[in-house]
Amino acid sequence: MIVAYQLPVPSTNQPLRQDRQTVESTFNFLLTRRVCPGNISESYSMKKLLLAAAISALCATAFAQGKDLKVAIDATYEPFTFKTADGKPTGFDVDIANAICEQIKRKCVFVEQAWDGMIPGLMAKKYDVIISSMSITEERLKQVDFTDKYYNTPSKIVLKKDVKFDGVASIKGKKIGVLKASTQEKYALGELKTKGVEVVSYDAQDQVYLDIKAGRLDGTVADILEVGGGFLGKPGGEAYELKGDELYIPKYFGTGAGVALRKGQGDLKKEINAAIKAIRTNGKYKAINDKYFKFDVYGK
Amino acid sequence: MTSNTQSYLLVILQGSLLTVGVSLGALVVSIILGLLGAAAKLSGRPVLVAIGTFYTTIIRGIPDLVLMLLVFYGGTIGINTLLEKLGSEATIDIEPFAAGVITIGFIYGAYMTETFRGAILSIPKGQMEAAWAFGMSRLQTFFRITLPQMVRYALPGFTNNWLVLIKATALVSLIGLQEMTYLAKQASAATRSPFVFFLFTGALFLVYTSISLYVLKKVNARYSLGTKRGTL
Repeated sequence: MIVAYQLPVPSTNQPLRQDRQTVESTFNFLLTRRVCPGNISESYSMKKLLLAAAISALCATAFAQGKDLKVAIDATYEPFTFKTADGKPTGFDVDIANAICEQIKRKCVFVEQAWDGMIPGLMAKKYDVIISSMSITEERLKQVDFTDKYYNTPSKIVLKKDVKFDGVASIKGKKIGVLKASTQEKYALGELKTKGVEVVSYDAQDQVYLDIKAGRLDGTVADILEVGGGFLGKPGGEAYELKGDELYIPKYFGTGAGVALRKGQGDLKKEINAAIKAIRTNGKYKAINDKYFKFDVYGK
Repeated sequence: MTSNTQSYLLVILQGSLLTVGVSLGALVVSIILGLLGAAAKLSGRPVLVAIGTFYTTIIRGIPDLVLMLLVFYGGTIGINTLLEKLGSEATIDIEPFAAGVITIGFIYGAYMTETFRGAILSIPKGQMEAAWAFGMSRLQTFFRITLPQMVRYALPGFTNNWLVLIKATALVSLIGLQEMTYLAKQASAATRSPFVFFLFTGALFLVYTSISLYVLKKVNARYSLGTKRGTL
């Protein structure tokens, strides 16, 4: 993975220059001509022509920063980002993105991207921002920049209803399943394992639920929304409930989900932060929130 | 089955055409690279042999997923950074379909190289020598003598490569292509009934691989004319 990569600060917005007099380098030339095939038919030296051909082969669209805001989503996270049967992206994240775009007067264009390639795609400038329930964490902040959070749902411990829960120490010896590489795993390893709770990591949260149902686990730590929709409200989950306090500890859980952007996109970050504040106050946020949830997901 | 489920299944079915497209495109790229690679490795010229060996060693030794990230994102980031250094505001966006075809083709070209190399080595040297003795050029020898005979030797390995290649297309969602596995993931996330969609996707893969196996069997029969099946 690209860990230590840092993009240089881009220069200020310049409009595309179409005249060839102002062009210094071949590269610059190609780009100011908007390098797509069909634009490079004029006669130039062979070398330049070859280079042009090479680049145009690579490129589908070379574009300058326009009015569209390209927003990356991974539509596999219902109810935050998912696709309806007719293929339209929808969900809380999508609605919030549209509200933000409306606020900053740009048009949202959604780009679908599998989760594993989310941050590399942002680095590669496939899109401008990620609005896909991405939690703000220390590790991610090393590579990308985040706006303020736009929601923060807490996690909770889930156990059988008849288990008496009175602080972490009271569940010593119990077996808890968590999602690998998740914020909940970090919490479980940091707070539960140290107190004698057995922690088992799984590749997917579904597998945790399957193993709870199979009796191999006593419970899990999960986002209350995720566990509510994915387990507690489903057949087999009736005997379980949320236990203890809402877990907000930033050390483990970060500070919520934010809009991710490349480092150096300071102006855009400011605009989006202002937009989030604006929709919080003008009621748009609440309208979207109430469409999907029974409580305010903005969190503490 | 609800109509909702049906429309998701339809979307996946359409996505499977993309899978087939990417697979076939990548197959063509990998065959070309494979022939070039095999030719390079068997050429006996140190530089070509070194390039061929470097290619197959690197590609076959690194997981597909990592390579895809490196080739696709590494490439784009590199180009865009270069452009920025040159003071340009524009960014280059590689078209995902082409990127998928080229990346997978590039990876499986390495496997094809080894398959073809082995196949060529299986042909008795006397065949080529006889062709040269008749005054055929190297290219003529290749197309008239080597190629028709190597097909038979290459087919088992080729079939394996092809089957793995089809399944490897499930990775291209990483670079922004919505092939059927990714669509199945989306559908199962939206409906929270994963098995329906993943079973369907699995079945589609099975259909495509079964068709390929049938076709390749016919090809094998065609190129095995005049040979006797040995049994122990």
